[in-house]
Amino acid sequence: MADDVKTKEKTESLESLRKADDNLRLPTVPERTLFPKEIGIAPAREQTPAVGQRATRPDGRMHGLGQTKYIDDMFFPGMLHAKIKRACISHAKIKSIDVSEAEKMPGVMATLIGKEIPVNSFGPSYQDQPLLADDIVRHAGDGVAAVAAVTEQQALDALEKIKIVYEELTPVYDPMEAMKDDAVKIHNGESNVYSSKTIIKGDVEQGFKDSDFIFEKTFTTQMVEHVPMEPHASIAEWDANGRVTLHTSLGRITLGRADVSRTLDLPINRIRMIATVVGGNFGGKNEITTEPILALLSKKTGRPVKCVFTREDEFISSTTRHPFVMEYKTGMSKEGKIMARKVRLVCDGGAYCSWSETTLGKACILSAGPYNIDNLHVDAYAVYTNKTMTGAMRGFGAPQVCFAYESHMDDMAKELGIEPLEIRFMNAFNEGSTSPTGQLLEAVVVTDSLKMASERFGWKEWQK
Amino acid sequence: MKHRGKGIGCMWYPIGFTVLANPSAATVKVNEDGTATLLTGTVETGQGSLTVLGQIAAEELGISTDDVHVVSADTDTTPMDTGAIASRTTYVTGNAIKLAAENAKQILFEVAAPMLDVRPDQLEAVDRKIQVQYFPQRCLPIADVALQAQFVMGRPPIGSASYNPPTVAMDSETGQGKPFSTYVYATQCAEVEVDDETGQVDVIYMSAAHDCGTAINPMLVEGQIEGGISMGIGYALQEEMLFDDDGKQINPNLTNYIMPTSLDMPEIDVDIVENFDPTGPFGAKGVGEPTAVPTAAAICNAIHDAVGVRITSLPATAEKVLKAIKEKNGGEQKALPAAE
Repeated sequence: MADDVKTKEKTESLESLRKADDNLRLPTVPERTLFPKEIGIAPAREQTPAVGQRATRPDGRMHGLGQTKYIDDMFFPGMLHAKIKRACISHAKIKSIDVSEAEKMPGVMATLIGKEIPVNSFGPSYQDQPLLADDIVRHAGDGVAAVAAVTEQQALDALEKIKIVYEELTPVYDPMEAMKDDAVKIHNGESNVYSSKTIIKGDVEQGFKDSDFIFEKTFTTQMVEHVPMEPHASIAEWDANGRVTLHTSLGRITLGRADVSRTLDLPINRIRMIATVVGGNFGGKNEITTEPILALLSKKTGRPVKCVFTREDEFISSTTRHPFVMEYKTGMSKEGKIMARKVRLVCDGGAYCSWSETTLGKACILSAGPYNIDNLHVDAYAVYTNKTMTGAMRGFGAPQVCFAYESHMDDMAKELGIEPLEIRFMNAFNEGSTSPTGQLLEAVVVTDSLKMASERFGWKEWQK
Repeated sequence: MKHRGKGIGCMWYPIGFTVLANPSAATVKVNEDGTATLLTGTVETGQGSLTVLGQIAAEELGISTDDVHVVSADTDTTPMDTGAIASRTTYVTGNAIKLAAENAKQILFEVAAPMLDVRPDQLEAVDRKIQVQYFPQRCLPIADVALQAQFVMGRPPIGSASYNPPTVAMDSETGQGKPFSTYVYATQCAEVEVDDETGQVDVIYMSAAHDCGTAINPMLVEGQIEGGISMGIGYALQEEMLFDDDGKQINPNLTNYIMPTSLDMPEIDVDIVENFDPTGPFGAKGVGEPTAVPTAAAICNAIHDAVGVRITSLPATAEKVLKAIKEKNGGEQKALPAAE
């Protein structure tokens, strides 16, 4: 009995200690999790041949037991926490940044501004994005300074003390406005259109002449976030040999390492990038975000430095899916055959290029749909605006154009009095079809997929 | 009143980068007990890629999935990889792994050939054995061959290889070229229920038939499709980042940025279209991104079928759908019964 009381008291005091630690946001010794030591192996994992087996994932067990170590679960002795100051203004010239008050704040070990970064630009196609804006702010989520402190709260408090003087510039948010000649230029250059693509196959004007009906419609899509369960997170540790080790939630460590090498002006063999098990990517973790900033903060302080994005950081400063404006014009024969199609795509590229080039290219090629169209003309443009930058996201422009070409297809089917499934069968790619870029296609199963999905749905029998 | 409708969305999607090189390299080491270790620079981002890649290595070596341990994503120790992007992992990294495993297997065959009294090209790796083709009773456990290779012959069975999909640059004026090595195809059908008094859209049921070439792991393919549909539903009906007049986001949080939850998920039937791509590892292509592509199209077509309004701007929120219904009905406000 007395022992029980003692144990209970001990547990309570431990718990209150833990609570106190939680309040201080200090790293605590995590509770030991018990797990079965004898593991059972799912039969599908042990069978041969391996291909085609419904083999379970080795990481599944770790996830299920809560044993997976994400970046946020990793601690190193003496580790600091970094936070990024956001501009909160969408287009402005930075007149001055004063971090002196922030540096005097309790727990603050170092600050960093863009001018301290050896090569303050990155990007997969064009290096048009600063790690921390040092001259011009181009969207409200742009980082302008970073702080490393003993706790996250101390770093957040210090951000408030950073003084920045801005000279506001005229912003432009609408891609159609931004395309105009007299629009404010977001990056130095003659135009906000930073990428354009064209596909021409056959003779589209002749195709329209040969058509019985012409249909036109404009479609638009919105900006969305990837919303991975794990936000962007990294830990940087600069060692005594001048090597930097980065634990990161990136999905592409080879490119990440090259970007860190370029921005820090370090040889590639002095950078080690380790990706943990990433808690969701969907295209949003293809590029570096804070990695070089953390590396420099670690170099300044001689301590490991961690930064985990809040959900808000994730929304306002990481890449998103491109909003599109899609103008479709399609010529049809009265039997329901697509004779010609003209498409104009404008993609809102946000403040920086990121993966817009690729998104635009894929959207352009895919915009005709999985259909045989002999006469095709697609023009596509990516435009800078003073909004959160858009980049890679599951589908690279395909969900946008698919929404347009499939909505358009149903409208045309209705006008022509053809069943939606039927009109797709009539126009679908077959083995040996030629793609919009002239590529001969093989292993084509569009009609098989139409048949399978509609049969499973019970398309023909279905009644309202 | 609630109206039901059906809609279809069909799509095609490429595997790998547009024209640009996007290579993967891999190393496969067969251990002296016949198990293996695979080194890859790609990153597991939740999709189960490491399981699939392990299965590819296992298949080539004739061993089981559990016999292969996969080491990934450390630039100091794993070979170059373009990474988890462009639905390329199964196809490009998978091809590199298959070639690497083939190279390791070749060493096993060369060591096993004199033990079995045949030429190396007469051998195959099946069911954890190295055996003579068409004469399976002459065989050796892979463990015995691996042990012999490493400790007697002094030839550790290690293979490395790389792969990059073959493309042809696109013409700058006409866009003509071969930008991708291969494509996948898919169809999704949606059944929705639309409330004409509120504009609320509920997705009741979806069927999805996706081509991914050979399904290396059908369970993980199904998981991808179900996940893609959930993302597609959010894209179709709910998700939208909104900005104020000063260009600041007004809903940068999960309270005001509405995403589908498990309660928004319809019943889903998934089918994998049987296909074999001769250029992919064991006929496989990919499935990651395409699963989220046709969902919004299918749902919007179903809304059109249900209430006769064409949504031309995503997302099809209740407000937008209701507005479109009212416009269609000539702007007449339907009289609601007075509250009692």
